Amino acid sequence: MSSKDIKIKDFGKKTDKLYNLDLKNLPGLPYPYENWQDSPIPELSEIKRKGKNITLDGFLNIAVPEPETEEEKEAMVAKFLEGLRKLLSRENNWTFLKPLLLSLDNCVKCNTCSEACPIFEMSGGAEIYRPLFRSDVFRRIIKKHFSPGGKLTAKFTGADIDLNWDTIARLAQLAYRCNLCRRCAQTCPMGVDNGLIAREIRKLFSQELNIAPAELHGEGTVKQLDTGSSTGISPVALMDLMEFVEEDITDRTGLNIKIPFDKAGADILLIHNAGEFLSWPENIEAFAIIFELAGLSWTLSSEMVGYDSVNYGLFYDDVQLAKVTLRHAEVAKKLGVKKVVVGECGHAHKAIMTIGDRIWLGECNIPRESSMVTLEDLIVNEKIMVDPLRNDFPVTLHDPCNLTRSMGVIEPQRRVLKKICPQFREMTPHGVNNYCCGGGSGFAIMQSNNFPNWRYLVPGRKKFEQILKAFTREELSPDVHKYVCAPCSNCKGQIRDLLTYYDAWERAGIMYGGLVELVVNAMTDVREGFHEWDFH
Amino acid sequence: MPTFTYGDISIEVDEDGFMQEPEQWNEEIAKALASTEGVEEMTEDHWKLANYLRDYYLKFGIAPMIRKLCKETGFSLKYVYEMYPSGPAKGACKVAGLPKPTGCV
Repeated sequence: MSSKDIKIKDFGKKTDKLYNLDLKNLPGLPYPYENWQDSPIPELSEIKRKGKNITLDGFLNIAVPEPETEEEKEAMVAKFLEGLRKLLSRENNWTFLKPLLLSLDNCVKCNTCSEACPIFEMSGGAEIYRPLFRSDVFRRIIKKHFSPGGKLTAKFTGADIDLNWDTIARLAQLAYRCNLCRRCAQTCPMGVDNGLIAREIRKLFSQELNIAPAELHGEGTVKQLDTGSSTGISPVALMDLMEFVEEDITDRTGLNIKIPFDKAGADILLIHNAGEFLSWPENIEAFAIIFELAGLSWTLSSEMVGYDSVNYGLFYDDVQLAKVTLRHAEVAKKLGVKKVVVGECGHAHKAIMTIGDRIWLGECNIPRESSMVTLEDLIVNEKIMVDPLRNDFPVTLHDPCNLTRSMGVIEPQRRVLKKICPQFREMTPHGVNNYCCGGGSGFAIMQSNNFPNWRYLVPGRKKFEQILKAFTREELSPDVHKYVCAPCSNCKGQIRDLLTYYDAWERAGIMYGGLVELVVNAMTDVREGFHEWDFH
Repeated sequence: MPTFTYGDISIEVDEDGFMQEPEQWNEEIAKALASTEGVEEMTEDHWKLANYLRDYYLKFGIAPMIRKLCKETGFSLKYVYEMYPSGPAKGACKVAGLPKPTGCV
């Protein structure tokens, strides 16, 4: 079925694949990628497909089961409806009921959201990827099953949808074809938040049907609460990694820095995304160098969960969200710090600083600050000295959605960059109007099956286009080293994967990294050459 | 859960071919897994890296950071990719019998 012919009433249709993403329909890329040939999308083997419903678009990032018998399917449908009833009741959904109802009620189908959505745009206009499409499937189910006489009048009231297992299984998959970037919500004249609707659908599936991507749940929040970190880093492993980090600081800079742990009463508890410890230790090192040389009173935590700021619950499940943020609050309270500073992780900012507000109460109501703000104070107020000429190469800035659109932290990181990078330039658009990296809502960590191809080809392609356009043709020579500054671990992972897929380090000399690495690279109290141009 | 078979070897693996029961790992299994990773022959350096990863995993329950791995084995990241084309996390760790990396890595 061609993309344009897919209607909402077809959503429950019996077919192996409702929509096929055709590489031929994808918009082209600018210089030097005009003739770029995408790799074919890998076919999923029988073993990978077995027992799963992959009938939306053939991409697999959430293992939705395909029950064998009709009875089992009916039971699952009933369970879904029970979950939906809960989602629409105050006692079961006190967290997000009101914005959900407002978003369900107020859409006027003007499709302004579609124009704002990079997934719709970069798929070449696939109907099912319209932000409105997903929300309308959901609205129709609600209208048909939860309004008086809904089933009888469905055909006449626009509630015509067949609620079979395929409908539900596809809705679960479609909730994971949205980065929750909320660009659509920002542009909607009625204030409808399609991102929130997608997230509430994910929540229904997780909390009621126990269906969630393994990376977010079993290997995400569950592992974090069990071992201390979603990466599996235990407190013992952490100490080994930190020993290496200290040695590495000395090797790179000649400085001897002892990283403070569990220092009760310190002014600042700094909390990193634990992915940094394993993939980007230079980020951990740079924070330590800056904080130490600025003479701050600070500490890291080695308590379970206290050294991993991630909270994947934000993406899919309120219960897991609350468990993790409660743990963060307890760690901060126990240490008796004056404030918590969140490192370079976008969604952790949102979870710890805003959504967690309802948990960080009473004794746990500890001030929380973005590291962008901490850094701005140190650099703009000249508490550390920098020589911008050490960063005399083209630099552009990626805005993590949670930090910028969702929280309004826009200028601090720019004031820093303007002080330390003489060749800093913006992407278009940027700030609150930014485009997601394409890895948002946990997609960056979904490395299995054929899903990485989807995030490189569709949402990631928009970011890659923006990155290319931030530089001139001359600058796009592989001999000119360029830096995409992405102050968020999840975004960094996605941008690393994007640059790798598009071979952009070799072809166009584009590298990526965080903000603090650039700061340390410019610090006059640190020997030159902290930043290394080795793509990793 | 898929089963991976190679000669007499039969082990449970996850959807990406990583061992599900890392404690069952041995050199024969490593060679079998290497065949899925574009590794034609397990040379001395292949073993050095696999054993390093293995030892670290047994001690700490995770794979080491890549920078540490390179420093402590003396292998450049480029050379690691030459040995294990899918790279340290997806290739070398799989052959060394480690589970798939998780979290924002």
